[in-house]
Amino acid sequence: MKGPQDLTRPDSQKATGFADAAPLISLKGITKRFGKVVANKDISLDLYPGRIKALLGENGAGKSTLMNMLAGRFKPDEGYIEVDGVRKEFTSSKDAIKAGIGMVYQHFMLVETMTVAENVLLGQEGSFFINPREMNDRVRKLAVDYELEIDPTARISDLSMGEKQRVEILKLLYRESRVLIFDEPTAVLTPREAFRLFEALWAMTRLGKSVVFISHKLEEVMAIADEVAILRRGAIDDEVMRDKITSKADLACRMVGKEVLLEVTKEDVEIGEKVLEVKNMTGIGLRGINLHVRKGEVVAIVGVAGNGQQELVEGVSGLRKPPKDTIFIMNKPWRKFFAEMTWNNSMSYIPEDRLDLATARNLDLVDNLLLTTGKGFTKGPFLQRDKAAKVAQELVEEYDVRPGRIQALAWQLSGGNLQKMVLARELYRQPHLIVAEQPTQGLDISATEEVWNKLLEARKMAGILLITGDLGEAVQLADRVAVMYCGQIMDEFPVTDTAKLDNIGLLMAGVRE
Amino acid sequence: MLESFIVPLLAATVQSGTPILYATLGEILTEKGGILNLGVEGMMSMAAFVAFAVAYTTGNPWLAFICGGLAGTVMAMLHGFVCITCLGNQVVSGLALTILGVGLCNFLGTPFIGLAAPGFSKFAVPVLSSIPYLGKIFFRQDALVYFCYFIPFIFMIFMNRTRLGIAITAVGEKPGAAAAAGLKAVKLRWMALLGGGFLIGLGGAYLSLAYTHLWANGLAGGRGWIAVALVIFAFWRPGRAVFGAYLFGGVMAFQLRLQAIGTHIPSSLLLMLPYALTILVLIFSAVRGRGGNAPSHLGINIEPEG
Ligand SMILES: Nc1ncnc2c1ncn2[C@@H]1O[C@H](COP(=O)(O)OP(=O)(O)O)[C@@H](O)[C@H]1O
Ligand SMILES: [Mg+2]
Repeated sequence: MKGPQDLTRPDSQKATGFADAAPLISLKGITKRFGKVVANKDISLDLYPGRIKALLGENGAGKSTLMNMLAGRFKPDEGYIEVDGVRKEFTSSKDAIKAGIGMVYQHFMLVETMTVAENVLLGQEGSFFINPREMNDRVRKLAVDYELEIDPTARISDLSMGEKQRVEILKLLYRESRVLIFDEPTAVLTPREAFRLFEALWAMTRLGKSVVFISHKLEEVMAIADEVAILRRGAIDDEVMRDKITSKADLACRMVGKEVLLEVTKEDVEIGEKVLEVKNMTGIGLRGINLHVRKGEVVAIVGVAGNGQQELVEGVSGLRKPPKDTIFIMNKPWRKFFAEMTWNNSMSYIPEDRLDLATARNLDLVDNLLLTTGKGFTKGPFLQRDKAAKVAQELVEEYDVRPGRIQALAWQLSGGNLQKMVLARELYRQPHLIVAEQPTQGLDISATEEVWNKLLEARKMAGILLITGDLGEAVQLADRVAVMYCGQIMDEFPVTDTAKLDNIGLLMAGVRE
Repeated sequence: MLESFIVPLLAATVQSGTPILYATLGEILTEKGGILNLGVEGMMSMAAFVAFAVAYTTGNPWLAFICGGLAGTVMAMLHGFVCITCLGNQVVSGLALTILGVGLCNFLGTPFIGLAAPGFSKFAVPVLSSIPYLGKIFFRQDALVYFCYFIPFIFMIFMNRTRLGIAITAVGEKPGAAAAAGLKAVKLRWMALLGGGFLIGLGGAYLSLAYTHLWANGLAGGRGWIAVALVIFAFWRPGRAVFGAYLFGGVMAFQLRLQAIGTHIPSSLLLMLPYALTILVLIFSAVRGRGGNAPSHLGINIEPEG
């Protein structure tokens, strides 16, 4: 495996001769809404030939949405796209392809039952009949030319993730795309495959192509980018040249952002007994985790996404079995706790994925309430749905969930209202431990404030394990902060330790003084 | 025995397999594009009626044959309007189409019952028809049967060797990928559906133009459903569809012959034979575990994106 240092671009791989070219693509004031969610807010961005632009941002920041518009899959609600300085309207992928824009989607767009060559040529204009031999030869030659070896007659379903990605790249090259967009391309690759991808990207910049590289991995962005644009909550937060970024820590700080968007007052509450203890936990992707949460406390786990936070949450919330005797909840070993778990006075989990894990999208608010509180509304074998409806109505009013109808289906609610409903349901269970995963991701300021206040209030009955990628959130809510990197806890300190807080970027980047 | 029973039986097999083959190929094309059409029975019924009516009024069987195909296309359009345009449920729409087609055909057809119309008659192909046995079985048929011999080959070439065929396959497998590659996924689905409807319609037209020249209600007689089952049996491949269609044609011809000879097996049991075979064939396909051969997005509508 190559270490992160090895990823840097050798001088021989540098693209030259495009120093002061005009932008190939200009995005001008792009705004995109999905219902009430504003996925992109007034974004302007230039892409230049021969350069790699990294789009860095947390999950849900709006990176994919922005690039989907450039690739013609979505239409912007406001703003427009210029190609070579000429304003263009894309009504479908076809238009974008014609304009020389190609995208490798996060989830590959390949037809599994067809061959490599058929996939590469799919959608290409040409004679009515095709000649498989000639088609295979053409794809084989293209693969050899770009050193992306692949058998054109292989079926996609037989290929590894890295090979599938190579097919996607060949598709773009075959179309002679000038702008190549890669949406989190390394997420599915082994480190070796990732390095091969980087070499391919460098080769393309030398041909004067413009590359967009979407990622939330700092090392990769440091290694590959010429320019970095940081997206937060749907807007461009910062745009810098790679040379101006001094270190990974610097980049980490820019990514999490430090400016205070919102402040909430945090009253002192009485600290009680331990509700969660993680003892020396190694396994399921984690190493030597020690952690505890007491009633009345908020412990924030911060770090760049993908450094073991998800594994930790899955272990604690019971989705994944941890090694024996490592997790204790309310003083019971994991297995015993989940065997005896009751619907109330126990643990609540507020997942990051609101629409598919926290709720059932096609059920109304009453049924969604019953998802985790069902046992509280039974009488013998019968469900007391009318009682649940009454409670749901009360919760909707108390938490100001709009529209105030309990008949609304989960998917019809905006992100913020849905999250308030989830929070209402989970707090109704009177938990002693709350696991809150990115509880305000994608929410607007007012919804964020309400969620924060409710969580702080919940400290009176529970200890809270907060997983967040937003440092501001950690600072506002937490008593203690633990920084995760590569499956380990780098450091844990009280939130009042400003010296450490200032250096948190280093810790998030895996550097210990 | 061979001359007097087997050869005529096989010749009848080819004839009664032909409408099923047209319909099965039509349904394969439709499903390859990702649309499940359970309206085949209704479409065949309507096509049989339209073809008969056209032949009766104009006296031109070829025109009638084409009009039968177009009747299938029009019925497919209804299905497409519900499923592709309005994103309705494909199963429900297909079932409704069957009920509509069969009912309408019986209603409109009643005045024609017992009337005869010009159609296709058998003729021997020079040279080929003198091959021993095979000549009698395959080359003393009507023009539509001969026409049908070519269709599986054309179909195979179309699906595997043309851009359009591959694009249709892609849309049935993964419409998102097809759209990302710059194809118009919805348009391609329409093409597969309407093209398939035309073939299904030809199958229906065969029934009233060649299989019999007299009009009777209920001509489709379950052949549409058999075609739907055969698509699964054929694993969506035209070659196996030929085999399946003739297999069913054989069973149908056989039970007719047994009835004619007059056995003591009750005729209702014999009439049941094709459907018992349908169940067997579906069990066979399930056991072979090739249901996985179905286009991955079969029956799933293409939702418009943001
Ligand atoms: N097709 C869609 N329908 C509704 N909401 C969407 C859709 N795609 C994305 N979103 C929402 O838009 C926001 C940005 O998403 P996305 O662009 O996928 O973020 P990223 O790629 O940065 O992780 C999220 O809040 C997400 O839930
Ligand atoms: Mg994304």
